[in-house]
Amino acid sequence: MEVVRGDFPFVSLSIILPAVSALLVVLLRERYAKAISVVGAGITFLLSLVVLYLFDYSRSSSVQFYEEYSILKEFNVKLALGLDGLSLIMYFLTTLVSLVAILWSVRDKQISTRLKEYYVAFLLSESFLVGVFASFDLIVFYVFYELTLIPMLFAIGIWGYKLRLYSAYKFFIYIFVSSLFLLLGIASVSAQHYFQKGSFSFSYFDLLKLSYPEGLGIFFFLLFFIAFAVKTPLVPFHTWLPDAHGEAPTAGSVILAAILLKMGTYALLRFNVGLFPEATIKLMPFMVAIGIITIIYASWMTIVQNNVKRFVAYSSVSHMGFIVTAMFLLNHEGLRASVIEMFAHGMTSASLFMMAGFIYNRLHTFNMNSLRGSVKFMPLFAVIVAITAFAAMGLPGGSSFWGKFLTILSAREYSYTLALLVLVGGFFSAAYVLYMLKTLFLDVKEESILIHFKDIRGVMLVSFLFLIVPILLIGFFPHLFFSMFDGSIGYILRHILRLE
Amino acid sequence: MDIKELIGPIELPRLVLFLPELIVLITAFVLFTLDLILSGRSKRIVLPSLSAIGYVLALMSVGVSAQFRGDTFYGSFTNDALASLVKIFALLIALTVLAFAGRYFSSKRSFYGEFYYMLAFTLLGAMILASSYNLIIIYVSLELVSIGFYILTALLRGSFISKEGAFKYLILGGLSIALASYGAVFMYIYAGSIDLREIFTYEGEDYHYLVLGIVFFLIGFALKIGAVPFHFWLPDAYQGAPTPVTAFMASVGKLAFFIPVVRIMPLIQEKFSLTWTLTVGVIAAATMLYGNLVALVQKDIKRLLAYSSIAHSGYILAAVAVTKDIGMKAVIYFLVVYAVMAAGSFFVVAMLERAEGWENRIQEFSGLRFNLPYLAFGFMIYMFALLGVPPTVGFVGKTLVFMALSFDQLWWLAFVVILSTAISTGYYVRLVVLMYMKDREKEVRVPQRGYAEALSLVFLTILTVALAVVPEVIWSLVAPASETLFAR
Repeated sequence: MEVVRGDFPFVSLSIILPAVSALLVVLLRERYAKAISVVGAGITFLLSLVVLYLFDYSRSSSVQFYEEYSILKEFNVKLALGLDGLSLIMYFLTTLVSLVAILWSVRDKQISTRLKEYYVAFLLSESFLVGVFASFDLIVFYVFYELTLIPMLFAIGIWGYKLRLYSAYKFFIYIFVSSLFLLLGIASVSAQHYFQKGSFSFSYFDLLKLSYPEGLGIFFFLLFFIAFAVKTPLVPFHTWLPDAHGEAPTAGSVILAAILLKMGTYALLRFNVGLFPEATIKLMPFMVAIGIITIIYASWMTIVQNNVKRFVAYSSVSHMGFIVTAMFLLNHEGLRASVIEMFAHGMTSASLFMMAGFIYNRLHTFNMNSLRGSVKFMPLFAVIVAITAFAAMGLPGGSSFWGKFLTILSAREYSYTLALLVLVGGFFSAAYVLYMLKTLFLDVKEESILIHFKDIRGVMLVSFLFLIVPILLIGFFPHLFFSMFDGSIGYILRHILRLE
Repeated sequence: MDIKELIGPIELPRLVLFLPELIVLITAFVLFTLDLILSGRSKRIVLPSLSAIGYVLALMSVGVSAQFRGDTFYGSFTNDALASLVKIFALLIALTVLAFAGRYFSSKRSFYGEFYYMLAFTLLGAMILASSYNLIIIYVSLELVSIGFYILTALLRGSFISKEGAFKYLILGGLSIALASYGAVFMYIYAGSIDLREIFTYEGEDYHYLVLGIVFFLIGFALKIGAVPFHFWLPDAYQGAPTPVTAFMASVGKLAFFIPVVRIMPLIQEKFSLTWTLTVGVIAAATMLYGNLVALVQKDIKRLLAYSSIAHSGYILAAVAVTKDIGMKAVIYFLVVYAVMAAGSFFVVAMLERAEGWENRIQEFSGLRFNLPYLAFGFMIYMFALLGVPPTVGFVGKTLVFMALSFDQLWWLAFVVILSTAISTGYYVRLVVLMYMKDREKEVRVPQRGYAEALSLVFLTILTVALAVVPEVIWSLVAPASETLFAR
């Protein structure tokens, strides 16, 4: 993997900026908290736009803006930060969605207490998430990966809904325990580096060069996989997710669904596929099977949910199934589908959770039955919901279309049965989205309550627009996004076949 | 007869190697004398400040003695990098103990002059224990540390649990010393030497004596570090002791008791290594599982931290099973940083205990964040550190243990570590959840907070994070400590 050093530390600046804003929030008075966090997240977002502009797309397989600071020489632990095409799109997703989440919180009526801590949690989680996607050292990656847990633990536990403590516990225990396997995996991989090359190393670039005996390779693959399967989550490791997403405050659910889950899929692609190509090829059928089971099982679970947040949560799981299925088809179209779907799902799930939060602010319930016809007198909001929902369903012109279409296309290269299975999954996802739309738009409820609802406006509208624009952009101009990471995907594919 | 020939075998002790111990020894005697002479009121000022001066001087002299490596007193006292590292942290933590002790005892409406000199003697024992290969010296210093701890544990004369804990500790501690010395006897029978280095390099024929010796020796030390199934004294003693003493026991005590075992690690020969790995590994597995499981149901914070201390003995023992350089580095690093974490977390409890109506129940931590935000924040960091969440020292320690275990392909032990850490998540996170996410149960106000306490706590908390984020600093001490032992 090629490395291009940057002239200016853009990446570490994007990690430091939110953290510094968090520090300011702590130090200054509570009434400045909102302004500081919006400005902090906003500047970070602008910075990411600059990075997007400066990125050399003709060499997207190489790691650009690379920085390196030694932490511990003996084990070759380095704070190695950089962005290749795959990291870049995730990094952009992080800064965008974090800004949206913070903007949303400004007017969220549920957030009324302990404002300082709230914004500190979200700013810190942005900073850690950037770290996750930008680090090319396994220990540093792990540190950021674990650190993202803590702000979310607090977000769910303090500002969540009724079952918040239970959900916070469950969330923390699931992810923390599963990532211990990852830690063991990382430690053993570095020990393998010692056996093969004579020194410990945690550097991603060094570890790419290793190859393992077959049994050991599969063992390491599974150690990494357990952590990322829980994080993603894949059935049967998904049970923490509906609780965590259902009970978290709106902005927390947004961050969870849009970015935290992507940590799992991103890491599967970066580490599992990247570091253990032989094991990946060996285990490919199982992974695809797990992906398809996840799609279908989660879709069924979605349809029967009565709580709109849990509904969106399960639909996220089924999308994760698409991403993983596409990823482990291990061909060019499949990987493309997987990565574009990671971004697209970030947009739609964030938007759907904000929709749930918006209605909750008006109706004070997440119960599907009570939501009947709730968008009737809010035309602008209804349009936003419709665009998001159709995009999530996979309608052409929406963001998820390319993910689903390309997945089916690449599954067809193996067999028509496989393609048909994916198609069935797509059918179910259409079913639940249409069911939701029907509930929200067409079912009748006493209009006397609904008529007083004010339509969406102001900051909330802006935060929705930040998501709607990319949704449509992906739908109509997918090549804008494909060009970001096509190079990286090509590199990964060549690496799997040991051509590079 | 030439005088030189006569005194030839008499070696002049190189006192510079012994300088830190000498200073602590003098401090201890001065404190002892002053405690007899001075009046009650002046004691309260003179004794702590004199101890502090003595420890600071000793700390500086560690820097001096570190320039000169080698053996003295006929090879019975060794000053090497490992010994220096232990001494630095033992003295630092002893200094912080002083900061908390005064106010703690006055909140119990008492003052004990003997606390100060017993602390100094215990510290002296710990320092000597950390720097010897000689079985006799190990025995003597082990006794010195233990007797110090028995007395310090029983210091709160009026309290029943204090006496109970001390008595249990006395009986089982005596047993452990008996076993360790019995093991020493077998080792002597095998090699005809009382120096561990000579014993383990001796190529004798009937080495079942050596195996027997190692087993008894190990059991003796397993008792001291609270490894399962020899742990029964530990929760009672930790709960009964005055909390600053508990902090000292959990940190410096554990650090010192582990060192003779650590010193054996590089000496284990190929033919014993499997026996060693299995024995230590099984004890380690039992210790961490049991410690964490029992900690899960504790209602008293001191007992909870005591069981967590048992569990940490297990994690460290898991790395002891790996008799390689990486295993040793993991052990040394984890030992040192556990001392910091344990001291810090017990100090927080020591401060809370001064609050009106505080009973050490875990439920009382509810909403602590609203009453004492800084203390709660510190305690949260300790909880995350003990759990092993990055970027704290506990995380680096666990990573090193994993590296060591995967280096020797001890997968089963690694999975036991994962399992027991998973169990421990339950109680560490519960404390964080209670402090930050529950409403407050009652007002908690700590009276008369002092600068020394605050400073010590901030210092330890910063260490808890800094030793992990900037590991190069401590690594420059840990790496030579292990490498010099393996170079022999």
